[in-house]
Amino acid sequence: MGGSNKPELIKDGKRLDGRSPDQLRPIKIEVGVIKNAVGSAYIEWGNNKIIAGVYGPKEALPKHIQDPEKAIIKCRYSMAPFSSLEEHGRTGPNRRSTEISKVTKEVFENVVQLEKFPGAEIDLYIEVLQGDGGTRAAGITAAAVALAASGIPMTDMPYSVSAGKVGDAVILDLNKIEDNFSDADMPVAISPRTGEMLLLQMDGNLTKQEINTAMQMILKSGAEISRIQKEALKSQYEKILEKYNK
Amino acid sequence: MQIRTVTEDYIKDLLDKGIREDGRELTSYRNISIRKGVIPSAEGSAEVMLGNTKVLAGVKLGIGEPMPDKPEEGNLMTNAELLPIASESYETGPPSPESIELARVVDRGIRAANVVDPKSLFIEKDKVWSLFVDVYILNYDGNLFDAGTLAAVSALATARMPKYENEAVIREGNLGKLRTENIVTSCTFAKIGKKLILDPDSNEEEFMNGRITIANDENSIRAMQKGLSGSFSPKELESLMDVTFDKSKELRRQIIQLGE
Amino acid sequence: MQKIVVPGEKLSDAQIRIENTISDSKGTFSCIMGSYDDEKKVLVPLEGLWNPKRDDQVVGVVEEDKGNMYIINLNAPYKGLMLSKFLEFELKAGDIITAIVKELEKGGTVMLLRPRVLEGGKIISVKPSKIPRIIGKGNTMIKQITDGTGSSITIGLNGVIWLNGGNVDLATSAILKVEEEAHTSGLTERIRDMLTEKVL
Repeated sequence: MGGSNKPELIKDGKRLDGRSPDQLRPIKIEVGVIKNAVGSAYIEWGNNKIIAGVYGPKEALPKHIQDPEKAIIKCRYSMAPFSSLEEHGRTGPNRRSTEISKVTKEVFENVVQLEKFPGAEIDLYIEVLQGDGGTRAAGITAAAVALAASGIPMTDMPYSVSAGKVGDAVILDLNKIEDNFSDADMPVAISPRTGEMLLLQMDGNLTKQEINTAMQMILKSGAEISRIQKEALKSQYEKILEKYNK
Repeated sequence: MQIRTVTEDYIKDLLDKGIREDGRELTSYRNISIRKGVIPSAEGSAEVMLGNTKVLAGVKLGIGEPMPDKPEEGNLMTNAELLPIASESYETGPPSPESIELARVVDRGIRAANVVDPKSLFIEKDKVWSLFVDVYILNYDGNLFDAGTLAAVSALATARMPKYENEAVIREGNLGKLRTENIVTSCTFAKIGKKLILDPDSNEEEFMNGRITIANDENSIRAMQKGLSGSFSPKELESLMDVTFDKSKELRRQIIQLGE
Repeated sequence: MQKIVVPGEKLSDAQIRIENTISDSKGTFSCIMGSYDDEKKVLVPLEGLWNPKRDDQVVGVVEEDKGNMYIINLNAPYKGLMLSKFLEFELKAGDIITAIVKELEKGGTVMLLRPRVLEGGKIISVKPSKIPRIIGKGNTMIKQITDGTGSSITIGLNGVIWLNGGNVDLATSAILKVEEEAHTSGLTERIRDMLTEKVL
């Protein structure tokens, strides 16, 4: 938040990396990268490189955590110690990663049809191999694809992206340097089918008007993110279809 | 728990005929591919695919203090994570004995072969480089030792060297390479019944009763580790060393190629 | 016309009742990765899990002998359970068996009946959603594979398949090919070609 040696983050309506305020970084998703997992996805979102993997559903253990009515989700978000251009990071969970794991789990508790698997657990792993701002949003976007690829039924495929503010400008999809010097950051996850928010966090300083602007940017970018998610899932099947439908 | 797809008898019957489930000979490796520089935020990185085993190693350098007994040497720290994403049977939580053994065996080969000379990491009195090597297991299908060493050494051999100027670490811009002195690789063998096989996959590891890892450079053996309850005769070790010197040529060639 | 759909994708503006979908005032939406036939209004899962039903044949591995019952690993969210008192022989941990589902109990347990031990051979696991294609209409696909390879094959609807004898490698490759290309047409012919090519 608002450091002293603040670089000029926006000049003539362009950001340091050349983006306009409401422009996403390039996003690429690949499905099926972890062979042992039931479903997996690798996302490159700008300089973020993240793997999401799903195991289960399987019997929830230890037994006392079982819910006889529905499945439970266990989620682990973690960052590799070499994921930052700065110092070597510490391994193991910290307060930040524990909180992100919890809010990510809650996103998917909304859409996964948990009642179909009473007594079971679904394990969701998000490993950040390289982080450059917005890793929780990119992780949730990848995890949604990994879950869809696993065949676990979901009422919708959520996406996530953050918006924030630098100086007077509201901007979409903050990278690390923008995040470091931003006046506000607001990661959001959306269920496209209902338009409802499944994740909402915010810190900093935003007026009601600025939040509305940020939300408009997030919803508008959602069409693009959803399209990339769908294409990643469909391409593997459509390629095989094409091969034989000629 | 993931289901076992083969029985012990099935594997043993095949080995008796001199073949393996995936059609390999007893002393053949699976396909190996190495990609360098996959994580640009790290000073060095490499992803190794050994069959379906997928390992990522990252190298970071930071400023540290030397050990009191070695005031003119930098620090080398190797860590291994059996990530829960890599297998149904890996749990979250504190490091398992398996991951610690893996880290220590990889570490021992790198140290013994002097892949990085600790003296070259000295900066000034009470100030040295600390070199961190993190071995990340992304998908488990057996033989993490060889894949881990390959990934770690590949990451070291292709790493850039940050600068230390005016009490600050400079990690970007025009940087030279991390100085490496040697290349070490390892060959891991499993013992199933009386048969010895190179590069066991996960089905084979399920039924092995002994395991031996031999790390070497061009001329000598640099580290060894025997694992599990089974035993090996000195004669067996001798023949495994021969296989190791033979097979390691190709592994070393692949690492050298990365730097070219 | 068939099209590939993903969770949350709209299938129809109308509210129609199809398995694995959800309807609201805006229409009907898929809950799975599937292949959707707009004319027949059928949604076939492309990925997916086994939904145990009475009389389903399964293949599994005995995980534990608890004295009065056996725990069977079915490679599924459900654990198999078999009461020893209904058996005329003993099982031991590690045995591969085939059995029939009696019913799905609360808490994710499947009660099994009529086990048969499968001696030797190996098992492979495939996506349960692809099992119907591997069996084929009127068993055509699987018969073609057993005839072409000489292997004995027992298929569990839980996605676990046991193979023994004959050309097990070829049979395995053929089954994995069907799994991968299950949503395409002309597959029976391609598998026939694959089997005859290898034999020649």
